[in-house]
Amino acid sequence: MTITGSPRTLSDLGLDRQNHGTLGRLLNSGPVAEAEDGPDGRMRGRLRVVPDQMVWDPAVLYLPHGGRLDLDIVNDDSSTHTVLLPSNGDKQFLALPVRSRGKAHLELDGPGCYWFSSVIGNDEGSGLTGAIVVGGEVAEQARLDRPEQPRP
Amino acid sequence: MTDYVDAGTAVNQGEFAGVTGFAPPVVRGLDHERLLHARSEPQNWLTYYGAYDGQRYSPLDQITTGNVHRLAPAWIFQSGAAGIHAGASTYAFEAAPIVVDGIMFLAGWDGWIWALDARTGSLLWRYKHAVPFDTPLCCGNVNRGVAVAQGKVFAVSLNAHVLALDAETGRCVWDVPFGDVRAGESATVAPLVVKDKVIVGSSGGEFGVRGHLDAFDLETGRHAWRTYTVPGPGEPGADTWPENATVRGGGNCWITGTFDPELNLLYWGTGNPSPDFDGEVRPGDNLYTDCVLAVDPDTGEIRWHYQYNPHDVWDYDSNMENILFEEDGRKLLGHFNKNGYFFVLDRTDGTLVRVTPFVDRIDWGEISADGTVTPQIYPDAEGEPVHFWPGPGGGKEWTHAAYSPRTGLFYVPAQDVGATITRRRQEFKEGNPYWGASVAVDTEDMAGYLTAVDAHGREAWRWTNDVPMCASVLATGGDVVFTGEPTGEVNGYHARTGELLWQFQTGSGIHSSPTTYSIDGRQYLAVPSGWGSWADGFLPGLIGGSHGDALVVFALPEH
Repeated sequence: MTITGSPRTLSDLGLDRQNHGTLGRLLNSGPVAEAEDGPDGRMRGRLRVVPDQMVWDPAVLYLPHGGRLDLDIVNDDSSTHTVLLPSNGDKQFLALPVRSRGKAHLELDGPGCYWFSSVIGNDEGSGLTGAIVVGGEVAEQARLDRPEQPRP
Repeated sequence: MTDYVDAGTAVNQGEFAGVTGFAPPVVRGLDHERLLHARSEPQNWLTYYGAYDGQRYSPLDQITTGNVHRLAPAWIFQSGAAGIHAGASTYAFEAAPIVVDGIMFLAGWDGWIWALDARTGSLLWRYKHAVPFDTPLCCGNVNRGVAVAQGKVFAVSLNAHVLALDAETGRCVWDVPFGDVRAGESATVAPLVVKDKVIVGSSGGEFGVRGHLDAFDLETGRHAWRTYTVPGPGEPGADTWPENATVRGGGNCWITGTFDPELNLLYWGTGNPSPDFDGEVRPGDNLYTDCVLAVDPDTGEIRWHYQYNPHDVWDYDSNMENILFEEDGRKLLGHFNKNGYFFVLDRTDGTLVRVTPFVDRIDWGEISADGTVTPQIYPDAEGEPVHFWPGPGGGKEWTHAAYSPRTGLFYVPAQDVGATITRRRQEFKEGNPYWGASVAVDTEDMAGYLTAVDAHGREAWRWTNDVPMCASVLATGGDVVFTGEPTGEVNGYHARTGELLWQFQTGSGIHSSPTTYSIDGRQYLAVPSGWGSWADGFLPGLIGGSHGDALVVFALPEH
């Protein structure tokens, strides 16, 4: 066994599948998608539980800026799940029976990463954890009065 | 084609949390006049410190030195941590519970705000601000409390928004960002309401930000003023910095100020300069870091300042409370600094009245009776470790002292722990920690105490502990002084002798601000218990202490 092996992918190691390389699917190893930025200022996106994979599609939903997000949520799995989503005011909860679909309306500041998951059993550890990632900058009036600074 | 079951639309998780959703309209009539005379309502705890003077003293006297041993839990509120959140291992429960006519308003970490029935602990409403889990934090996911006035509850979110909630429903009335998380800013302070404004400060002094204090209109959230705590080019104090260094100079205002309505002055402390330990890149006194600023609450104008640590290279933030008191008719303020010295100033003009040490081991330097600071040990040479007392956690951390007008004594949670600092030059990158050093706080040879001193710094008594004391102190009219221990005990002491009269183990370390109130004549003691935060900086010897999230409320038996 070498200490520093050649680069490997998640797939090489079976970490992108349920109960292959390890017990669950490595967190946030599912697809990435970007929300649509609507002309009304609201964004739209979709989250789906993929059958037999214990993964959200997308596992990372990117928002170009903070604001309101309308989500369609689909459970295509043959098991019951839920979704708990971040939103200003309170977390948003939806039960997702087998083969079900629903909606959620969220409000998020930007920028930053927010967590969501299915909160049944250990769905979270098994792979049904995802992130809503908000890009952009904070509002101009909240920024420091200083010249642009170097970033990493 | 498959038919789907209609799962409906996601709802507030609070609908499945036994929440009633409504609180009585107790805050509706809470105006400036009532806040001015907060101590005349001893049944309530209306502001962060209980009153504008910052004394953390309640006249309530049902709990006495003779019966405090009978205190027992009346109720417990817990929230618990769920999912991934910022500071997953450093969250802590640091709040000061506010109580208005039987209703408690409480802030937790990670954007939680709750209204509780203060008699039973029943949850009336809850608000959860969504906080990015990658918010830059020096010291953990914490919040020190809310303010209340004019029907609203005010708080900051970790990602530097200031929020106004309807006090009856918890619904957001307005929400305004006032800090830049990309720059390394965050917010943890309990707001202060003065007249028609809510005043907040930013956090981020370990990320090379530029500190500021902001005021917002209570009703609308309109931004009234911003005062930077480090000057811009050409502004007063700019000559105490190298050119262009102030824009990342720190000086954040992350602890609530006090207020003298007669002088119309806020007394607000400022934090360390940035980078914390590498003073070579910022020669000069570095105003207005490590100061108390006397600020006009109507305009934000700085009327005077006193700098406790000119050119700080020890991380001796000076945000901590400036307690207002009188001596022979003279308006004074008292401040216990991280540097181990107790300062008394004339609060009309900032003149130093006296300065005395309040912890045993001080070797970073000396402060003479006239206030002259003589540094002795500090990280000066690149890569060379130096050890000094007090360490960057300070001889007293942010947690607050109390002052009892009955005894004329200040009650101070003291920390006796040193640290080894090795200067390490850093290139500034926005959003990255900017300390300029490697830091190793001692895990052995430490102590702590609760000490009672008079306004001349003379010690009346001391209760010693084998680890630093780092919970706020509460003084009461029953001559019982309360505070907590890092190992979870909440203690009641005789205010005149220091005798430990009562103790209860809450299960997690206490790093918060206990408050007291009464309902129908029954006095309660409210103690947030939940260890974490910057334990690596002030008490790494207990960095493995049990986490928690309980508000434990005590009272004497009814029968």
